[in-house]
Amino acid sequence: MTNDNTLISVQDLKVYFRSGHECARAVDGISFEIRQEETVCLVGESGCGKTVSALSILGLIQTPPGEIAGGQIMFQGKNLLELDEEDMQKIRGNRIAMVFQEPLTSLNPVFTIEDQIGEAISIHKNIGSGELRDCCIKLLKDVGIPSPVQRLKDYPHQLSGGQRQRVMIAMALACDPDLIIADEPTTALDVTVQAQILQLLKSIQETRSMSILYITHDLGVVANIAHRVYVMYSGIVTEQGNAAQIFHHARHPYTQGLLASLPSRSKRGKRLFSIPGTVPNPAYKPAGCPFHPRCPHAIPICGKEYPKMCDYGQAHLARCPVLFKNSHNPDKPEPKSI
Amino acid sequence: MNKKEKGFNKNFQLETPLAPKRTRLQEFWRLFRQNRLAILGLFIFILFFCCAIVGLFMTSGPDPLLDPAMIRLQEKLRPPLAKPNLDSLRREEIPYLGFYLMGTDDLGRDVFARMLQGAWVSLTVGFVAVGISVLIGIFMGGIAGYFGQHHIRVDHVLVTLVLISGAALVTANFIRSGAALLCLTPAYIFYFIWSQNRSGKKTLPLWAKVFRKNAVSIDTLIMRIVDIMLCFPSFFLILTVVALLPASIYNIMIVIGLTSWMGATRFVRAEFLSLREQDFVAAVKTLGAGNFRIIFRHMMPNAMAPVLVSATIGIATAILTEAGLSFLGFGVPPPHATWGNILSDGKNFIFDAPWLTFIPGIAILIVVLSFNLFGEGLRDVLNPKLRERH
Amino acid sequence: MISFIGRSVIQKIITLFFVSIVSFLIIHIAPGKPSQVDPMNPKFTPEMVERFQKEFHLDKPLHVQYLYFYKDLFTGETVSWKDNQSVLKKIWERFLNSLPLFIVGTIITWTLSFPIGIRSAIFRGQFYDRSATFLSYLLISIPGFFFAYVLIIFVVNQFHVPVIGMETFGIGDGASLPYIFMDRIWHLLLPSVLGATGGIAVLSRYVRSQMLEVEGQDYIRTAWAKGLPPEQVHYKHALRNALLPFVTMFGLILPGLIGGSVIIESIFSWPGMGRMAYEAILARDYPVILTVNFVSAVLVLAGTFISDLLYLVVDPRIRL
Repeated sequence: MTNDNTLISVQDLKVYFRSGHECARAVDGISFEIRQEETVCLVGESGCGKTVSALSILGLIQTPPGEIAGGQIMFQGKNLLELDEEDMQKIRGNRIAMVFQEPLTSLNPVFTIEDQIGEAISIHKNIGSGELRDCCIKLLKDVGIPSPVQRLKDYPHQLSGGQRQRVMIAMALACDPDLIIADEPTTALDVTVQAQILQLLKSIQETRSMSILYITHDLGVVANIAHRVYVMYSGIVTEQGNAAQIFHHARHPYTQGLLASLPSRSKRGKRLFSIPGTVPNPAYKPAGCPFHPRCPHAIPICGKEYPKMCDYGQAHLARCPVLFKNSHNPDKPEPKSI
Repeated sequence: MNKKEKGFNKNFQLETPLAPKRTRLQEFWRLFRQNRLAILGLFIFILFFCCAIVGLFMTSGPDPLLDPAMIRLQEKLRPPLAKPNLDSLRREEIPYLGFYLMGTDDLGRDVFARMLQGAWVSLTVGFVAVGISVLIGIFMGGIAGYFGQHHIRVDHVLVTLVLISGAALVTANFIRSGAALLCLTPAYIFYFIWSQNRSGKKTLPLWAKVFRKNAVSIDTLIMRIVDIMLCFPSFFLILTVVALLPASIYNIMIVIGLTSWMGATRFVRAEFLSLREQDFVAAVKTLGAGNFRIIFRHMMPNAMAPVLVSATIGIATAILTEAGLSFLGFGVPPPHATWGNILSDGKNFIFDAPWLTFIPGIAILIVVLSFNLFGEGLRDVLNPKLRERH
Repeated sequence: MISFIGRSVIQKIITLFFVSIVSFLIIHIAPGKPSQVDPMNPKFTPEMVERFQKEFHLDKPLHVQYLYFYKDLFTGETVSWKDNQSVLKKIWERFLNSLPLFIVGTIITWTLSFPIGIRSAIFRGQFYDRSATFLSYLLISIPGFFFAYVLIIFVVNQFHVPVIGMETFGIGDGASLPYIFMDRIWHLLLPSVLGATGGIAVLSRYVRSQMLEVEGQDYIRTAWAKGLPPEQVHYKHALRNALLPFVTMFGLILPGLIGGSVIIESIFSWPGMGRMAYEAILARDYPVILTVNFVSAVLVLAGTFISDLLYLVVDPRIRL
């Protein structure tokens, strides 16, 4: 699966959280890859393991209680899971940067904007203080903060939510990383500001030619920004493909359910669909396919066998053998397991 | 799309196990069990409780098994586990166990019996004092948190002040001036009836209008009282009051209780303030529940966690305070034994009979430690913020 | 800013007023007459009692007594019933004796609890944290007077130095200066360590929980994600935020000048404030008791005021 222009590839990553005798399998063997200059979306309900996967890329899972139980994360030829702490520090913020969900709480309240952006630069680059200041100003200008020179001495609480998120993005851009992980960066913001931030991320991605791993539960955002999409459910990837494939030819019952529950013009006046049931507790997942208790197409075998990835061609994969068999044509190849 | 939607709603299997269902208590116990120190604390606490109860029965009554007050001067300062000298003792003076488990003190009294007697004192002082302070705390905090935005009228303040100071003066033997103030009560009743009758018409005279003005909100009033109480150095205040009052164990309990309710008040108030704004309280209100029901059925259980924790630790503090008072000679009057006064008596023989210092000292240490450990364990379990982290 | 200060000062003065009333009432309503100061004294004849009552206005109504007392207090004319000395002068002398204990104790407390608390938070759940936690529970739970005797036995047996009192009795004549100095240090050490133990335990636990609280915040995750080295995350980003509440505690240590030293000073026969208060209580010396109470209330209020001000200065989120 690995192409030459693959930037990062995560294979069979497993992250478990232990507490007492329980073991919550937050991420239970996911694989995905991001190519250069590509925006990849991880989509799923809250608690399905999106954020945990992102944090484990940066090695920010707290151990204990967290624990990376298996898999590998290949980034520029190195397995990030095997690097020691010092080498990871050189990658964090420098090669891979992250933008978090809550701009309100993700900025340190007792340091000025300049301190916080400058810090990100000065630890990774050897740079003089005057130059540092210019860098900060330029970054603030790049992310669209008006009158950046005056803003430098501001504390986070003096900025609006959208501006704070812009500062977060400026911080992430500070060292010109190859990959930005954006963990629901717009969830906490107003809708209008959301659109601006999305636009900003899009333009940054184009001008700076970097990759973005965008984590969200908002399918609208996905449609807006994604090149490729991974749909996650209960710690596994249930379907992957490009945006068009996912939105127009969803092959997994969960993806279909998600799409069906979106409001749209054709459904005006009708009752909005919702998937029955709730996401399983990560410590007590059902056997077999984790989605089968909520799945309309479930057959007895779904509760027993872990489903295989089925290849629909053109890099569109879905983890539902039942639907695959239903749509299966004799001239297509047998389901390939991954 | 529509076909699929129909499909989704059918044959949905709800009975699949999602997670084992636990009651709140089971969940609590599961979390609590992980904290070994807290379990140890609970264990010691139960042990101490049993000791105190058993000790009460063994050391009280007209003819106790272990007499903490029996003086055997010929057997003074015997070390722990020493056998009594049977020749010099009368029959009834021979210790019940046949030896002095914890030695004897300078008057030849059995330290073991005295320790058992003292255990009950520590236990009751701890529980009663904290009981008083928690009751006051819940009451004051609950009022401040729930009715805090209400205002007290000027006349209420004046009348309360007059009555309280009148009663205070009478008890302080300034009977004449006190009685004069108390005589104002009928006058207030007249004023009240009069203003009730007049309130329908809007022509109250100016002074009555001033009287009916809002003086201060209940919340401010109670929190200022808390501030005032916090200004006193607590141990010094307790010492002063206990020294002025006649020596008795009940006075100590009451005084400790009356000087330590501020923490509970603040906790309950803070909890009530945040709970009052929460949706479930609004929901109950819209269902037409009365204040009483909202407070006791819906808010109190949610506000109890921090109170419980601070009460547990408060017991430890109260036991320490009582021991300190006894040590300074202001505690329970002799010959009744408490751990503090055993230690205080023993300090004169610290080099000759160190057990008189160490046995009560270590006993206090262990009991207080167990309460502290248990309380901290409770805090960890009951604090949802910390719970997530574990 | 100025209005904040003004409001706060007025509020504190009102509180102080009520404190003065309450403490006055507590003392005078309790049974037992102040005129029983020393009933065992054979010189204490009924005529004496009468003269005494006149002198201290005890025959006047309560509120007049109150006014007289606080008038005397503010003009500095209050005298002790016991020995007719000026109370303020007495308190000042004793205060100077207590001061070294307080200063050394505070320095020990603050210099030890911060490193301990911070390290516990960073290594939470590990051996260091567990043992520090257990030790601090032990120190919180140990009765001060018991611990005092344990330490006295230990020091006397181990080092053969006298520890009771402020200095060895009669050392003044003929001893060399360094010897006197060392003697003083030895006498100072135990009581101040004892005064500090409880403080260390409580403060280090508090530092730890503050650090843990802050370490769980989102901005710490941001700091990690920037690739900062651990020292910078812990000691710059986390500590700076965790320290905020402690700045305010600087104000709150002021009342400690009087509060907890009663037992320790009486064990060590240290002629400080606590011991004076204790003696005053024993002797029912009301002017001294009331003045100590009043002074400590002033200290508490001044402490909270200072801490409010410090908070204003330190936290950029609060601007008035």
